[in-house]
Amino acid sequence: MTPTVELLRVRKSYGGFTAVDDLSFEIPPAHIFGLLGPNGAGKTSTIRMMIGIIAPDSGCVRIFGEPFRRRVLRRVGYLPEERGLYRRMTVGDNLIFLGRLAGLSVATSRERIGAWARRLEIADWIDRRVEELSKGMQQKIQFIAALLHDPGLIVMDEPFAGLDPVNTMQLKDVLVGLRTAGKSILFSTHRMDQVERLCDSICLIDRGKSVLQGSLSEIKAGNGRRFVQIDYEGDGGCLCGHPLIDSLNDYGNHAEIRLKPGADPQELLRTAAAGLRVIRFQVMDPSLEQIFIDRIAGTDD
Amino acid sequence: MTEFSIRKVWIIAKREYLERVRTHSFILSTFATPLLMASFLILPAMIGASTARGIVRDSERPARIVIACDNRALAELARGELIRQRGARYEPSVVSPASPAEHEQLDRRLDAGDIEGYVWLDGPALASRRVVFATARTGDFLLQRRLGDALSYAFAAQRMVKQGSSAGDVAATLQPVDLTAVRGGETFSVYNAVRGAAVVLILMFVMLFSLLSYGVMVMRSVMEEKSSRITEVLLCAASAQELMTGKILGTGSVGLTQIAIWLTMAAFGVSRSLYLRTAIEVLGVGPSLIVYFVIFYILGYLLYSAIFAGVGAIFNSIDEAQQWTFVVILPLIAASGMILPVATSSDSPLSVLVSLFPFCSPILMFERLAVHDPPLWQLALSLLLLVATIGVVMFISGRIYRTGILMYGKRPTIRELSRWLRHA
Repeated sequence: MTPTVELLRVRKSYGGFTAVDDLSFEIPPAHIFGLLGPNGAGKTSTIRMMIGIIAPDSGCVRIFGEPFRRRVLRRVGYLPEERGLYRRMTVGDNLIFLGRLAGLSVATSRERIGAWARRLEIADWIDRRVEELSKGMQQKIQFIAALLHDPGLIVMDEPFAGLDPVNTMQLKDVLVGLRTAGKSILFSTHRMDQVERLCDSICLIDRGKSVLQGSLSEIKAGNGRRFVQIDYEGDGGCLCGHPLIDSLNDYGNHAEIRLKPGADPQELLRTAAAGLRVIRFQVMDPSLEQIFIDRIAGTDD
Repeated sequence: MTEFSIRKVWIIAKREYLERVRTHSFILSTFATPLLMASFLILPAMIGASTARGIVRDSERPARIVIACDNRALAELARGELIRQRGARYEPSVVSPASPAEHEQLDRRLDAGDIEGYVWLDGPALASRRVVFATARTGDFLLQRRLGDALSYAFAAQRMVKQGSSAGDVAATLQPVDLTAVRGGETFSVYNAVRGAAVVLILMFVMLFSLLSYGVMVMRSVMEEKSSRITEVLLCAASAQELMTGKILGTGSVGLTQIAIWLTMAAFGVSRSLYLRTAIEVLGVGPSLIVYFVIFYILGYLLYSAIFAGVGAIFNSIDEAQQWTFVVILPLIAASGMILPVATSSDSPLSVLVSLFPFCSPILMFERLAVHDPPLWQLALSLLLLVATIGVVMFISGRIYRTGILMYGKRPTIRELSRWLRHA
């Protein structure tokens, strides 16, 4: 199946500063892809090259199997990091305007706006001016604007920024629904905890370079099941200096442990059971954040 | 990037238009400006007309003028002439002879406000005909001219009487010439020419301020879209070219709407007011002048709005753009300074030059068209230069716009700008 997006050795620099350096990735259809990285890593530049706002210095961007052309944007929905709406116009007028620009008729725009507004529970706000809305509310409007023309690829720069947990859940549900409907979704974020349960695959970038990429499960497996949490009663001192433990955070009756590479958690459990009354023993997947921090720390050396 | 969709330009222009036309400031300026203009134009005219018809208002006392003269006969002649002058409302009186005591007395009465002025005609003044008019109303040029005319009349009449002419002879001989200026079959009178200049002046200021305010509006609108990142969303659906074109056309249509409303109001006013009708007829503010006005307005707007669109794309805030805005409007300021020189000598080499200069020609060539028909080749050349300049400016501005609307933060250096021009 043709990937929806292919980036091939893309590079972009501004003056002397390299924002994106030799970056490649693919997004298959019906896939949620997370572009992760700290602030200033090159996420926004990457996204802008995907939607033709800026052109790469070298490398190639293919969308729906073709080299990028403006025409392809009819099938792309874009949500910028900041709210791109006319503040003094009503929500409805804003959306109709953007729908019309995307090639829809007024009637079709209205119909779709109504459907989305009901789904995202903002129908009462359609006739209000954008400036009267909260940031989270504006973000939802922006979200609808990106989806109005039913794009096959949806590109979102920090879609969850400024949203409360309820709205975040609502948008996550919508994204999952879109994936089920066969759409490809790329979003960027620097909040890695937000993507763990949502993304099929990710690309971690730092200072313009890809640090880590692949499907989420592969990445986690590849980084080993090295994290253990123990809830216990008794004297945790017996864990100190254990030959299997790389690092230990002991909170008195709760300990977070990172094992040395290749260590068997079962062996640790035996040691702990011998010395302590173990209430809970859990082998954890590493969090993305943990993996990322490890990787970045590694590249710093 | 080559596709250019008229449909998208239309959608963008329409949004721009509707948003601006619905603002309070548009409605206010559209209806308040004519009121201001009317008070400019109609009020003095109404005062003038009522004076001419001899309508006396309580608030307005006739000017009391004393003619102090050693020669009583001469003074009486001047007094009679002053009363007879058309449209005049004076209360002249005569004091004779002009003694030093009388002089002091007159100064006191002038200070006290008992009289509005006196003419001092003692022996030396009679001999040299250099006459002093002491008055509180130094700004009343009409009074001064009429007084001068009345005295000249008196001097001449007295001499004729001495030489034996009859009163009828004197009146017939000294009857003033009624001069009427005519251009292309249209009649001008001195009074109406002044008012005519006022109408042309008003048209020019409307053009000037409209070019300025709608140009700046384009700039603000570009900046607003840039700073709110709407541009990014729009660029996914439309090209930079379509955006800029739509914005310029939409905002320009607002300006044209305003001017159309004003012209309609003016036409209505003209149809209802005899005075305005005569003034307009007399002035030669015919349909052709209005057509020229609209043509030069549109061209001038295209020129300046294109520049302002580029400037808006370079900067991130109005504050940052302030000094550059000034540079952009400098030619307009210069043009407004040239309005009077061009009015008085419309065919001087300087006038021709500035009316050909594209950044000034919308104002100054229009002015020359209004006050005096310039040669056709000059009009054609001026239009040609203007259109060519618009083309060049649109090209440059378009390139700067395309890059600038996505550049945030630091403002670009001249070198970066030239790179935008070459690479974009």
